Amino acid sequence: MSTDLTFSRRDLLKLGGTALAVATVSRPALIEAQTPKRGGAFRFRGYTPPHFDPHLTASYTTMINLSFTHSRLIKHKTGPAVKPGTFEFEGDLAESWSQPNETTYIFKLRKGVRWHNKPPVNGRELTAEDVKYTWDRFMTIPGNANRHMMAAVDKVEVLDRSTVKFTLKEPLAWFLDFVGTPMALCIIAKEAVEQFKDLKKAEAVIGTGPWMLEGHEPKVRTTFVRNPNYFIPGLPYIERVEAIDFDDPSARLAAFVTGQIDAGGEFPGMMIRRQDWKIVKEKRPNLRYVEFPANVMVHTGMRTDKPPFNDIRVRKALSMALDRKAILDATQEGVGVLNPPIPAALTAWSIPFNQLGEGAKYYEYNPTEAKRLLAEAGHPNGFSTTLDYATYGSQEIIDAVQMSVKMWKDIGVDVKVNEKPYGAYFATSYVGKQDGLVQGPQFPALEPYNFLAQYLPGEAKNQSHVNDPVLADMILTSNKIFDEKKRQQQLYEIQKHIAKHVYYIRGYSAVYIAALDPALQNFGPNLGYDYGGRLMAAWWNK
Amino acid sequence: MIRRYALKRLLVAIPSLLIATVIVFSLSRLIPGDVVTLMMQENQYAQSLEEMREKLGLNRPIYLQYFEWIGRAVRGDLGESLYSSRPVLQELARRAPVSLELGAVAVFFAVLLGVPIGVLSASRQDSAEDYIARSGAILGLSAPGFWLGTLVVVLPAIYFGWSPSIKFIPFTSDPWGHMVQFLIPGFLLGIASAASIMRLTRTQLLEVLRQDYVRTAWSKGLGERVVVLKHSLKNALIPVVTVLGIQIAQVLSGTVIFETIFGLPGMGRFLFDAITERDYPVIQGINLVVVTTVVTVNLLVDVVYAYLDPRIRY
Repeated sequence: MSTDLTFSRRDLLKLGGTALAVATVSRPALIEAQTPKRGGAFRFRGYTPPHFDPHLTASYTTMINLSFTHSRLIKHKTGPAVKPGTFEFEGDLAESWSQPNETTYIFKLRKGVRWHNKPPVNGRELTAEDVKYTWDRFMTIPGNANRHMMAAVDKVEVLDRSTVKFTLKEPLAWFLDFVGTPMALCIIAKEAVEQFKDLKKAEAVIGTGPWMLEGHEPKVRTTFVRNPNYFIPGLPYIERVEAIDFDDPSARLAAFVTGQIDAGGEFPGMMIRRQDWKIVKEKRPNLRYVEFPANVMVHTGMRTDKPPFNDIRVRKALSMALDRKAILDATQEGVGVLNPPIPAALTAWSIPFNQLGEGAKYYEYNPTEAKRLLAEAGHPNGFSTTLDYATYGSQEIIDAVQMSVKMWKDIGVDVKVNEKPYGAYFATSYVGKQDGLVQGPQFPALEPYNFLAQYLPGEAKNQSHVNDPVLADMILTSNKIFDEKKRQQQLYEIQKHIAKHVYYIRGYSAVYIAALDPALQNFGPNLGYDYGGRLMAAWWNK
Repeated sequence: MIRRYALKRLLVAIPSLLIATVIVFSLSRLIPGDVVTLMMQENQYAQSLEEMREKLGLNRPIYLQYFEWIGRAVRGDLGESLYSSRPVLQELARRAPVSLELGAVAVFFAVLLGVPIGVLSASRQDSAEDYIARSGAILGLSAPGFWLGTLVVVLPAIYFGWSPSIKFIPFTSDPWGHMVQFLIPGFLLGIASAASIMRLTRTQLLEVLRQDYVRTAWSKGLGERVVVLKHSLKNALIPVVTVLGIQIAQVLSGTVIFETIFGLPGMGRFLFDAITERDYPVIQGINLVVVTTVVTVNLLVDVVYAYLDPRIRY
């Protein structure tokens, strides 16, 4: 029996069927009125990163590990009361912050924050200079794939020992979202960089976070131990964290059923697979679990700057040729959410489907209308094209591609599939270097801007080569709207415009399942890599 | 005499090893996609693909890359992992014992099951025991390792609430636990080899049991145990020893699957990751170790062969 925020498969189907952005139809967990207990270990499926330097990789494997050991200026609120897919800010290293004008942000740091007591930093106090050093390195080190997040920053100044000022080149309403993201921007120590030349080695993992890295055995486990000098008194409650690296999904199922791990995390490689879910619920009847839509959105991009995809009728035809529900049934056991241009998972910004307007009808499966549109566009016998994709090691992705190709074939479009290795795909098709179509999952950002950048001319993520001055202006204008209500309205208009023009063909997103040991208290899953942040105030009631 | 024979075999093994290194080196460069594009995407260590290739020495003629690699390998330097920047030799030193341990347990079970069942099957030809053993062997040969591994991990978890540990236990922290964790994957890995050995032992023993000298032994009134185990089995096992050498290579390749399913940090899993990451030095390093092991084992097998059958000389 679920005792936490859940919604059923039936609920999900209903929501998906009515094409509503599912968001999180969930109710807050009952927070036990008990005194938190300190101690115990939390074990989950972890990852071996290529290395630990957050400025030299965009890999989620690095960021997940560093979420336990490092802090950011601000972070997202966590806990069982937080609805997955929503991201409210709270101070992390920053005690408070202010925005005197549209291009200036001032952060006041907490006093008495100490680095982990490890050489060469040896527990010294964190200062504003550390924040400036981090930003300088973030912006200047060659090879930082996340640098674009801070492209709007003009300068960072230290006002005093605990005050730091950011000046932007132009207003950017998403600035705090970027500062708070768990994807990249943790604060690092200068001494560690100087001692180890970079932060790749496990010894260089020295932060101010709730846990300290204790040991790292590649492809075996990474262990973290409680930081006794963490700046929030009493936290964290959990003494040890064990990130056990094992790939096999069947072993993951067995490990969770037999209690060898404490959570099936809300991330594809950690998650209990949906096909195993029935067994898990039977075997762990008191399980706590939360289901919510993934922000990983799969779409099909195309060369809208070239024939035949520069003809909107062709794009509409390809979209209407897809039986999205059939693909969902085959790949996700029928459980998923349909995405407007901003994924349904980002509940604050994604437009509800019933407000999408004209664009909504191009999500409907209508092969007859698709054929008619093709004929009208001058392709009564269809045409031939190519589709690039990478498997990501996922059978679901392969199945979805094969089904799409078959459905397009049904309306006369002959698609030749180019399966590319992950690296080659990322260096070419993912950044729009393809001849015809490209299909695959997109970066799971926690703010909408990363998704909207796919429509801006000159942006690497613009796989469809969209060049729509009206749309670009709408997006750039939205970056300068600080009033959230007004910005949401602007984003809704943007999504209606995009849906009408079918620049990308969007499908369903999976629904994540976060499965938790019932004894784990005060833990709320959410999107993003901040597993350390979410675990910080959790405790074991055993 | 046997020393001269062993020396000759050793001389033959050296060109075999060299040819194998050429294959190992060139095949890894034929994998679709390359590490440069992957590293550019994830790490952006250079401004362009060309600069990246130059940095890694991949822009030079392939034969120069080969000679440089083999020269360093002979000196014990297998380079650094392109992906993690860790020395390959250091990684292999940590992982090779895990794979070798798993392989050794697999071979142990293969021999432990294959030879006695083969003997039983041959000495009870066309009996119920024989049919059961032969059917079992066919099953063992045809059941895919990943399927068996998955069943053994998942079914006990569902029905008995037990599953093999997902955490690797180092020998230094718990010697007994360390050894026990290899029993199940080692047993499963050894099943296919056990089936091959069983079938070959049976066939060879049946042939030997029909020899004149065995008939003479029976006519002398010797007991079954003496005739089969003392007079027949040694001769029947000669081809089995050869096959065992080949099985060791198969066992090593099988570690990829079982290390992944059972979470063992060995060379097989390392190789799997390296292929995914197009990590040439690691792929080459692991294959070099495997090739050297196989060549060495086959050399040993040849020597043992000559010892078991003094008539064999080349």
